[in-house]
Amino acid sequence: MNLHECYNSIGADYDSAVKRMCGKESMLAKFVKKFPADPTYTELVTSFQNGDIATAFRMVHTLKGLCLNLGFNKLQNSSSELTEALRNTDTPAANAAELFEVVKKDYEETVNAINAVDD
Amino acid sequence: MERILIVDDSDMNREILSDMLGSEYNIVEAANGKEAVAILNENITSFSLVLLDMVMPEMNGMEVLEVMEKNGWLNDLPVIMVSAENSSDVVHSAYELGVTEYICRPFDQLIVQKRCRNVINLYSKQKKLAGLVADQFYEREKDSRLMIDILAHIVEFRNNESGLHVIHVQNYTEILLKQLVELTDKYDIDSDNISLITKTAALHDVGKICIPDEILNKPGRLTDEEFKIMKSHSAVGSQMLADLPFHKEEPLVKMAYAIARWHHERWDGRGYPDGLTGDDIPIGAQVVSLADVYDALTSERCYKKAFSHATALEMITKGECGQFNPLLIECLNIASESMRLVKEGSTNPQTDYDVREFASDLLKSDALYSSNRLLHLLEYEKMKNRFFEGITGGCSFEYTTKSKMLTVSANAAKVLGVSETIIDPVHNEELIAIFGKEKLRELKAKFRSLPPENPIVQYNFHIIEDTKPNEQASSNIFRITDASDDDISCSSNANHNVYKLICRAAFTVSEPQRYTGVIGKLVPAESEYGIMKEVDFNELT
Repeated sequence: MNLHECYNSIGADYDSAVKRMCGKESMLAKFVKKFPADPTYTELVTSFQNGDIATAFRMVHTLKGLCLNLGFNKLQNSSSELTEALRNTDTPAANAAELFEVVKKDYEETVNAINAVDD
Repeated sequence: MERILIVDDSDMNREILSDMLGSEYNIVEAANGKEAVAILNENITSFSLVLLDMVMPEMNGMEVLEVMEKNGWLNDLPVIMVSAENSSDVVHSAYELGVTEYICRPFDQLIVQKRCRNVINLYSKQKKLAGLVADQFYEREKDSRLMIDILAHIVEFRNNESGLHVIHVQNYTEILLKQLVELTDKYDIDSDNISLITKTAALHDVGKICIPDEILNKPGRLTDEEFKIMKSHSAVGSQMLADLPFHKEEPLVKMAYAIARWHHERWDGRGYPDGLTGDDIPIGAQVVSLADVYDALTSERCYKKAFSHATALEMITKGECGQFNPLLIECLNIASESMRLVKEGSTNPQTDYDVREFASDLLKSDALYSSNRLLHLLEYEKMKNRFFEGITGGCSFEYTTKSKMLTVSANAAKVLGVSETIIDPVHNEELIAIFGKEKLRELKAKFRSLPPENPIVQYNFHIIEDTKPNEQASSNIFRITDASDDDISCSSNANHNVYKLICRAAFTVSEPQRYTGVIGKLVPAESEYGIMKEVDFNELT
């Protein structure tokens, strides 16, 4: 599938994302392809599972920012919710674990779709 | 090409911003606040803009802004906040801490480019303008001071006194006024007033041009009649100013009038010409009066020899030379050292410098302050230091309380195996590992306790080569001991070298002197120290 189809399949906004890069699909494609290798998500998983909420907050915050830039609306929404749940790092929200699972699901979906894009 | 510093903990975010800004700029990246501060500290003037993320490890964006504010960097270097924090609370406090702009996510290339360009242009235009204003202001102020100085010299000329009296009175007046402002806010004196009073102090004796030569320069005691004529100079001088056909309402003329008329009034009401008492005498005239008396006492005149600084101070304090405002006597005693230095001519608060200072004060108050020139000078000094250190392979360090930053010379960093810039050294793990927490605390306390008149302290610095029997590589152990601990002799073997660590505390220029940091250098104990010993350490202060 091409990049546009990939965006459609994961609830992402292709048109706006390309527009923000002054219409250059090549620039968007470059960063989308780098997304699976970005360490932010892995560090989020590790820190969250180790109970290191301060780091987890920072990581999911960064993840949210990346999704905003790339137009990954669905993953951005779930990471945004988790960000708010972890903002108070001493007492994270009770549903943090559930929200974390949603982020995980959305992330895997996103990465699978990106990996399926033809070069 | 303009340089932009991008500070963000996410590689990808930095790359996106960098790509969006394109080839127009020279991009430098920092992965957290600490790195950013170190980069800026090294070479602040080379940057035109900072793009700053908020949520970061080590030191977050808010903390970076605080450091920048404290160091006055925000005056010259604009910051645009880039963050996924879109809540208005965060944006508000970022604006409060001094960011110029805010770019929210998702980044839009065109918006990123335009905003960066606009902010850079705005700042560089403002900087140019500020420099221009400062230069013009400086030139004009210099000319007007020159005219006053010439006029004052003409008055003095008849007096057979070199004209130094006027300059001295001006300098003492300025010192006393600055001290008075530190001591109390009872009088409404700002930097404009200080400048105005100091300037017009030059005209305090303008009435003397109407006093006949034979009275003015009479070596012996004046008769009652002659003294009466002599005393008329204050009323006559003020009358001359009051009779000016123009500029009567100008603050300068009004101040000159007050000083010329009332600089011989006394706090107890027994002065002349009007017998005013206490604070009915304008504060400007009170200060000039004290400055005038101090200079008269400490200078040689045709009718008397010069008294020493200490004697003059005692005579004034005991009320042997008239009654003064007790607050001013207090100022005189607190600022005694500065007065003495001016008297002895070892410092000369150059009027040129004052004008500069005044010009930049003025600009600062209008938020147009350009410290750029100063920063350039500072960087030149740093470059010079680095160059000489590089040649001599010297080990030195510098710590300033303002930025809480320890900077060590490249060579020292290499020898110790630490970074060249260290924030908050007492809590720095590299340093704790080398010297121990206790030692660092002890050094800090010692440096802070050094008095301005004796700001130098020496230590022995031991470098001990630590070779373990079964290991090829060796590492060094470092130890700092008091210079008086005489364990050097027993340890002077091949793998134990002792150096002198000479440190000097630094203080603010203005009174009261406050501790601002410390500088130090490592000197070989035998060779160069032999020479150092001959040097009087007071000369290094």
